[in-house]
Amino acid sequence: MNRLRFWFLLPAWLWLALLFLAPLAIVCVYSLLSRGTYGGVELPWTWESYRRLIDPLYGTILLRSIAISAAATAICLVMGFPLALFIARATRRKSLYLHLVILPFWTSFLVRTYAWMFLLRDTGLVNTALIGLGVLREPLPLLYNDGAVLLGLVYGFLPFMVLPLYATLERMDPALLEAAADLGARPWATLFRVVVPLANPGIWAGTLLVFIPCLGAYLTPDLLGGGKSVMVGNLVQNQFTNARDWPFGSAVSLILMLFTLAALAAFYRRAPKELL
Amino acid sequence: MKRRTFLTSALSAGVSACRRDPRPRLNVYNWSAYVAPDTIPNFEKEYGVRVRYATYESNEEMLAQVVSGNSGWDIVFPTHNRVPPMSAMGIIAPLDHRRLKNLSNLEPQFQSPSWDRDLRWSIPYMWFGSGIAFNRLVVPTPQAWADLWNPRLKGRLTMLDDPEDVIGASLKKLGLPFESTDPDQLRRAERALIEQKPLVRAYLNAEVRDQLVSGDVLVAQLWSTTAAQALDAAPSLDFVFPVEGFPLYCDCAVILRESHRQELAHVFLDYILRPPVSAGIAQATLTATANGAARALLAEKIRTSPALYPPPNVMQRGQWPGTLPAAAQRLRDRIWTEVKAA
Amino acid sequence: MKRGLAIYAAAAYLFLHLPLATLVLFSFNASRFTLWEGFSLRWYQAVFTDAEMADAMWNSVIIAIVSTIISTVAGTLAAYALWKRSSRLLSGSLYLSLVTPEIVTGISLLAFFQWTFRWLGWHLGLHTVILAHVSFSIAYVAIVVAARLRTFDASLEEAAMDLGATEWRAFRRVTLPAISPGVIAAGLLALTISFDDYVITSLVAGVDSTTLPMVIYAMARRGANPSINAISALIVVIFGAVILISERLREA
Repeated sequence: MNRLRFWFLLPAWLWLALLFLAPLAIVCVYSLLSRGTYGGVELPWTWESYRRLIDPLYGTILLRSIAISAAATAICLVMGFPLALFIARATRRKSLYLHLVILPFWTSFLVRTYAWMFLLRDTGLVNTALIGLGVLREPLPLLYNDGAVLLGLVYGFLPFMVLPLYATLERMDPALLEAAADLGARPWATLFRVVVPLANPGIWAGTLLVFIPCLGAYLTPDLLGGGKSVMVGNLVQNQFTNARDWPFGSAVSLILMLFTLAALAAFYRRAPKELL
Repeated sequence: MKRRTFLTSALSAGVSACRRDPRPRLNVYNWSAYVAPDTIPNFEKEYGVRVRYATYESNEEMLAQVVSGNSGWDIVFPTHNRVPPMSAMGIIAPLDHRRLKNLSNLEPQFQSPSWDRDLRWSIPYMWFGSGIAFNRLVVPTPQAWADLWNPRLKGRLTMLDDPEDVIGASLKKLGLPFESTDPDQLRRAERALIEQKPLVRAYLNAEVRDQLVSGDVLVAQLWSTTAAQALDAAPSLDFVFPVEGFPLYCDCAVILRESHRQELAHVFLDYILRPPVSAGIAQATLTATANGAARALLAEKIRTSPALYPPPNVMQRGQWPGTLPAAAQRLRDRIWTEVKAA
Repeated sequence: MKRGLAIYAAAAYLFLHLPLATLVLFSFNASRFTLWEGFSLRWYQAVFTDAEMADAMWNSVIIAIVSTIISTVAGTLAAYALWKRSSRLLSGSLYLSLVTPEIVTGISLLAFFQWTFRWLGWHLGLHTVILAHVSFSIAYVAIVVAARLRTFDASLEEAAMDLGATEWRAFRRVTLPAISPGVIAAGLLALTISFDDYVITSLVAGVDSTTLPMVIYAMARRGANPSINAISALIVVIFGAVILISERLREA
């Protein structure tokens, strides 16, 4: 390997070894140790953390997280596809439309999550408006439930779905649509039989970029779920702070990591050209 | 060329910003709303030091940082039953009473408390009990822990985000001892809590105060000092210590063994033991001070507040929880995770 | 169909922007409750006079600048080297880092720091937060720069080398200036990500390194406080401006 390439890649390899693989290795090791009563880890070695994972009580969290993440991904797909199509097909002002999607996306995630707290709480804007208009007499409990978490996730990750979809749809050859129309296909048929399949790489990219972060989401369920709607991300955070069970938290994190790896591998096979 | 000068000037600005303050530092980690606005500034001015003061909402939050032994904090305020295990783990520094001249200001009952007979490790700071804060609109008026399982409260009820308090409340509701270590009893308490969970809006500590005041929450399991603060802000609220019994706690100041500023830390502890300082804090934050000399300086309304200083017949129902053995503590931690996850 | 799409797009944009817009609007509300009581700047005043928030903002800025510089340099060099000849392991790891949930990154770094610090006797602090931010930013930088490199004509570099330049000189004098808008855009991206991060920072921060998102989070958990609206509005405006600049550069 030539010298330039060696020095250029050195920082990245250092990062990989020290800030990515070493930490994950330590988490692996921790997951096989026992917990200290007030935090930290200690010997002996044990499989106990993994055994606890099989317990049906924790299975519920995993299933709930998968369900919410899948729902959020599906909603993002359904909501995001027409929007991406609109931007891709726009003849003028395409850049403006794109910026209008990117802008809320890059402003602080925390702020955007708080925006929904502000809207949905009992004394928040939605309830105050509805009570003021006489539609309700008592505030609706819009916050601190799975629905609020779902809403927050969709709102937070919608642009993650729109951008890859747009990238793929933009490269689509309009001649194909004309050909379909020439062959007598109606607009809806064209949509489902031509456009959607062609957008497949974008759909896979978007699904990957939404589903996995949703699965490990922490902030949204914490603020909008009221510490009740516990998803896997909250469980992990809890084990490393309040519950002081580092081995168990490590085991759960590794399972999350495995999910991520599996999703990435599946994506590699379906749409390898979309990557570096 | 322009880019390079920009980068270098930004870098030097960043580096120079790191050498900010030459005064000696003290890092204090305390519960939220536990000092008056002028407590820390006055200390800084009097001794020419800079205090890094940050707050937490739960013992677990604080312990998670401190248990590693190199957290960077000098003084923390654990609840009393955390003090023995912390000293057993060797993370607390023994106190030098020669540097604490104001120690005698403490109330007699706190001069030699059950968790630290000679005050070797900790200084009692503020004390309180757990009870039920509620909006007077709620009928019938909550009187017992069992009332927190009332289905009519669905969605308007919060419990504390604290395993000891919540599991304890469930145990008391079932008529079992608060400090039970029996796995069967604990599992029964767990089942009751999972039953209650659909009614609970959220598990919140002091954060729920604003929601009580605004009316978002109608009934909350709450510590008496936080409740006193809420009652002060909203006359429609009231507080009760449940009839089945309730826990009493004392938050204590400790110096961490890792601290390199033991001397300054002792000065700070002596400072908050001064009657005017302690009274100022208790007045501003509506907390119950363990400092007897300070209590005498308080306004009448606060000195006789039933939430802060309950009368003897109420105090009878209270108990000071001790430290649990490690196995029981681990089981409770696990039960807490399971309740939160259900 | 085209009109239906346009109507739908308008609704979607409304959904994306309305929550933030109301947040900003109510930051000017004179009352602390959700009933509009008149225009006022008092919450902005509260933000600017809050010492804790000023401290946190200062920390956030320092962390963001330092970590951005490090990750931009490392990421750009890596993207270039991978562009010349790819390494499946490295690019795969970069993608993995991108998709890994923040909580996993956070606790793995916390475990790593706690474990190494036991031997070194160090504390958690600004340096650990900076390292953590570098860790998750590198992937973003590498991907943005890689995208830019794909539009760069490699023959320009080859021509320079044919004319006698070394590889390093060719990179510095030909390639780098050509991709510099992409590099700066990547840097701005890393800046905003670092400034906004809560999850990872809260886990690895120490005594002196409270950041702005941590302060906002604590306030958000404690209940309704219009100061959050004010600081949020400021963040939205500033981030928005930064990202617009970044986008302009990326397309240049």
